[in-house]
Amino acid sequence: MEPGTDQQTASLANGGKEAYAIRLRGLTKRIGSQLIFENLNLDVFRGEVLAVAGGSGAGKSVLLRTILGLMPFQAGSIEVLGSDLSTVEGEERTSIERRWGVLFQDGALFSSLTVLQNVQVPMREHLNLPLKTMNELARLKIAMAGLPANAAHKFPSELSGGMRKRAGLARALALDPDIVFLDEPTSGLDPIGAAAFDRLIRNLQQTLGLTVYMITHDLDSIFAVCDRVAVLADKRIVREGSPRELVQNPGHPWVREYFCGERARLIEKAS
Amino acid sequence: MLNRHAISEYYPGCRIAPGAGAVRIELSGDWTLAVLEKVYAALPTSRELPRSAQAPEIDLARLQMLDTAGALALVSFRESIGGAAARFINVRPEHQILLDEVARAALAAAEATPRSQPIADFVRRFVSALTAISRDAISLTMFLGETAAALGRVIVRPSKFRGTAFIHQIQMTGLTAVPIVSLVCFLIGGVIMQQGARQLRNFGAETLAIDMLGILSLREVGVILAAVMVAGRSASAFTAQIGTMKMREEIDAMRTLGIDPIETLVVPRILALIVALPLLVFIADIMCLAGGAVMSKIYLALDTPIFLQRLNAAVTAKHFYVGLIKAPFVALVIGLVGCLEGLRVTGSAESVGTQVTAAVVKAIFLVLVLDAIFAIFLSASGF
Repeated sequence: MEPGTDQQTASLANGGKEAYAIRLRGLTKRIGSQLIFENLNLDVFRGEVLAVAGGSGAGKSVLLRTILGLMPFQAGSIEVLGSDLSTVEGEERTSIERRWGVLFQDGALFSSLTVLQNVQVPMREHLNLPLKTMNELARLKIAMAGLPANAAHKFPSELSGGMRKRAGLARALALDPDIVFLDEPTSGLDPIGAAAFDRLIRNLQQTLGLTVYMITHDLDSIFAVCDRVAVLADKRIVREGSPRELVQNPGHPWVREYFCGERARLIEKAS
Repeated sequence: MLNRHAISEYYPGCRIAPGAGAVRIELSGDWTLAVLEKVYAALPTSRELPRSAQAPEIDLARLQMLDTAGALALVSFRESIGGAAARFINVRPEHQILLDEVARAALAAAEATPRSQPIADFVRRFVSALTAISRDAISLTMFLGETAAALGRVIVRPSKFRGTAFIHQIQMTGLTAVPIVSLVCFLIGGVIMQQGARQLRNFGAETLAIDMLGILSLREVGVILAAVMVAGRSASAFTAQIGTMKMREEIDAMRTLGIDPIETLVVPRILALIVALPLLVFIADIMCLAGGAVMSKIYLALDTPIFLQRLNAAVTAKHFYVGLIKAPFVALVIGLVGCLEGLRVTGSAESVGTQVTAAVVKAIFLVLVLDAIFAIFLSASGF
């Protein structure tokens, strides 16, 4: 199956001015004396699900944190939804931040708030809504993230790892973002839970027309939900393309090892 | 769906078009979170709709942008004017997916909305607060038993005793507490002397203040001040150390490795405190008396040899022992409370903070209660 390609062209056709959700050009970043990225280029199209893969320590999380503005970078540009993040400040910056949602690895839920209150945090911060509407909306998001209704009044410490991730996703979706960043959404979940989470991401992406940028090294996820994969190695994106393209034409030793290794072949055979 | 959060160029609108058959409600503009107030303002109530035999139709042909908040408003509006009989017509495919999903999720969310019962909740909170005291007492007693059993095992097999941890804890709870305990006791000793002399001057019995200082310091003040300082410093430290280990599952890891956390973590701490606190009480007593001596020189113009002579006549070793005998029991209570609250920490970092606060409050409270019990018991038995 080749999910999403038709959708991508559709959004390219009617989007016009902003075909790119995220555009990185010549990104260079060092931490101390260590060079992390050198002249890194990456495009994320609107309405696609992009997986960023790479070995441990390749800098996947650093790249995500750099795009989100949690870490500084030395050279290059980061463009999100048509605005250059290094030039926008204040109100304008906030208005861009409102248009993305982030799911951190373990959910990063506020431990002193219930799930419902966690989902309401962005609404309280950015919008002026009556409490009743906020409750309704937050319950809706919790249900859309696949949590049972009684989870709304539980605290994060009372939830399992998978449920925390779903609650984190509900919070990321609270403001109906355009882009959702997912940091290893299926890590730490059992295969059934991971597959369910994959389906959820695909479902929400299609319903809400999201652009999804996810860090993963779960081959199952990549084949199940991703339109394209970008592989991070040697301080830059070495390969970009649909999972099938990368399998047929790896072009880089790490990509070959990853997509044509033992585990990848098993998944290929199964599908 | 582009630029959803920009200020909408198309405000939500609603027009009622009475047709031949069903009432047709035509919606237009953007129905998004950014303009949600206008969304709700635009929607008519069921009374504003003209009466009609057929359920109304909701025409979405001119709807521009739609997000989950707008879709939720639409779905609940449809519910309010006739449920499933009211139909959405001319829906764009991307809107249809969203409307279906939101309707499904809204149904799931509505299923279990807990009803709030203020009076029942109040009664429940009140009862649970009352029973919390007895639950605390029971668990503290049980923990005392567990610790005693672990101590017994350590005595039977001394190789299990953690000597290094024991010495380290004596240093942390005892030695490092010496400066602050000394300072506090010196000041309070001075204050007792000064206040006592001032009140007794009215009766011309200023020098009796020295008797008062001696007895009060040795029997009560020294031990209470030392114990309160230790409860504040060490009970909180025990809770934080053990609680952090509990939170990171280190305690569970110890259990799976066949190591008893009570033997390794609790016993050395409590024994260290039982050794350290009497030593601290001795220092506290001396410092109280020293503070009194300095104050008597300043305030009563009594030279130190005369002060000591007076003190020697007033105080016997009995008073000193009465104060000192309380120290190990108080130390046991402080250590037990500190360790127990640490083991009660649950998964979150926040609960470490809660338990540390609880440990300090309970430890100080129990120190004072224990002191009162000792005072009654000892004076009844003639000491």
